[in-house]
Amino acid sequence: MQLTPEEQAMLAGKEGRAKRKAMELLVALGAIYGADRLIPITSAHLSGVSYKTIGEGGIDFLEEMAADGRVTVPTTLNPMGMDGERWKEMGVDEHFAQRQMHIISLYEKMGVEVNCTCTPYLLTNRPKVGDHIAWAESSALSFANSVLGARTNREGGPGALAAAITGRTPNYGLHLDQNRKATHVVEVDKDITKDEWSLVGHAVGRKLGACIPFFRGLGSDVNGLKSLGAAMAAAGSVAMFMVEKVTPDQPESLEGLPVVKITRQDIEDTVRRLRTGTKPDLIAIGCPHLSEREMKELAGFLDGKKKKGDVEVWFCTSKGIWLRCPKERAVLERFGKVLCDTCMVVAPIEVGHKVTASDSAKACSYLPGLCSQKVFCGSRRELMELIL
Amino acid sequence: MKLKGREIFKGRAIGRLLVLDEAFSFLGGVDPKTGLLTVASGREGENVENRILVFPYGKGSTVGSYTIMDLKKNGHLPAAIVNVQAETIVATGAVMAGVPMIDSIDISLLRDGDRAVVIGDGLDMMDLVEKRVVTCVLRRKGKMLILKRSQKVGTNKGKWAAVSGFIERGERPEETALKEIVEETGMTTARLEGRAETLRIRDGIYVWSIYPFLFEVGDEEARLDWEHTECAWVDPAELEGYDTVPGFRKVLDVLGL
Repeated sequence: MQLTPEEQAMLAGKEGRAKRKAMELLVALGAIYGADRLIPITSAHLSGVSYKTIGEGGIDFLEEMAADGRVTVPTTLNPMGMDGERWKEMGVDEHFAQRQMHIISLYEKMGVEVNCTCTPYLLTNRPKVGDHIAWAESSALSFANSVLGARTNREGGPGALAAAITGRTPNYGLHLDQNRKATHVVEVDKDITKDEWSLVGHAVGRKLGACIPFFRGLGSDVNGLKSLGAAMAAAGSVAMFMVEKVTPDQPESLEGLPVVKITRQDIEDTVRRLRTGTKPDLIAIGCPHLSEREMKELAGFLDGKKKKGDVEVWFCTSKGIWLRCPKERAVLERFGKVLCDTCMVVAPIEVGHKVTASDSAKACSYLPGLCSQKVFCGSRRELMELIL
Repeated sequence: MKLKGREIFKGRAIGRLLVLDEAFSFLGGVDPKTGLLTVASGREGENVENRILVFPYGKGSTVGSYTIMDLKKNGHLPAAIVNVQAETIVATGAVMAGVPMIDSIDISLLRDGDRAVVIGDGLDMMDLVEKRVVTCVLRRKGKMLILKRSQKVGTNKGKWAAVSGFIERGERPEETALKEIVEETGMTTARLEGRAETLRIRDGIYVWSIYPFLFEVGDEEARLDWEHTECAWVDPAELEGYDTVPGFRKVLDVLGL
């Protein structure tokens, strides 16, 4: 990889230890993927936030980077392992909470915006068409590539931090025109609704693996697309998809591309695959984090109804959306907890729960492995009916 | 002997190899508290600490990068990492924790316990000796010449092989090839038809580096020297009936025969 004199200086440690480590990481990744050079980025989004996933080793790394490292582009953060204020109610212990807040303070010291969400694009971090960015968090980067038309590879947390500190990322993969081409055409049966797009995403991810599917005539519902992309990334490492008339990158031609149909049968098979438990002791909604419209829809549906039983319910969202929705929160709080900055996948829910229900195929894919949960996969309406 | 690879993270390390045959995930594959490999690695109970850890490529969750940091915290880091093909998770962890790492190494040549030095983009295998040889397949009308090695030769006595010989110091492989054809068969009409990338085969402390060549020859008799007792013109499909030297099939494969 060709480095500019400025980049060589960073690599030689002339601009501090954090920049040196960051450059070493970018050079290694550039070598692996055959990048010709580094390119400037306009924003970064970092994963590697929950104490549950990064542990003490991760804290060591962040301490080393935060000693003299500062981000040089707008940078946002993924969910952490708890709500910063309501962690006790979540069953999180004191030690975990302390170490978690230490992690947040290290990111804050580096200049990272510490509202923790997997949907930064609904708030302050919204890249424009053609922007080169370095995002971790598979669902967010998929949305950025596919709906916003920005350009990012699937970064890991440390790689994204290295990009944020140097303001650069290796030029390969989805930063290049020639790699942003559809590989398959996907046709979704007309009777499948946008509430089921998460399941569609899982089915496509499992069938096709890492690919760039082009969805014919799907529609442009933002909340549906956020669920679709999240599930596809979790099931098949899909970093980019295209939707007819929605994605800024449209294919020049579909000639010769294999066509895949998603039918009612695929949806039923997916639910059957993901459903490993029956009686949930936690119902968790908001993977990815709930948008303002989703908060309004949920509150509208639940308003005037009464909760039956005492099963724990979580509505996970970002601080930004939480602040915008005081009325909706008041309704939802009668049915469960509206939590910020965290979610069911990165919080240590295994301490207090065994069977978790979710309407997100992404959450349902990760909950067994990352949280030792049995999973009840159902539509949002179905989950709400469990408590009414 | 030195194996050249590609530098992923710079550094020097010396140690004994720990060779895993399958893709490896640090998350779940090693206990960061002890450095011991788990049952998921296929090599339960081996300790990675101070070993040069060799595996084809990384797999699994991105959390694996942090597992390498945990190994560092607990003092159980491997001395270095050697891969066939590096990927993001392990490379990221190696850079974070400062573990020297190289890839593009043919790990089929490596064995558990070999002593080695990782330096820059290469792996110096201290105890291995390289033997460079040519193998020349002579072809005529679709059939190829195989020769039965005599009892007087140094290796592979009594086995069937193509024309072959050691590449002497300062000699180019194609010079060796032509020289050996004349010595072993007396043929003078050989015309170079093709060659393939060098094959390497591990045999005890030796690594045979085989330079494969394909020649077309005219209608002349083979006159054997002391190195061989018999010869035969065979179709590649007829080889089954012959006891051939190790790696012979591979040579034919890379030559497209």
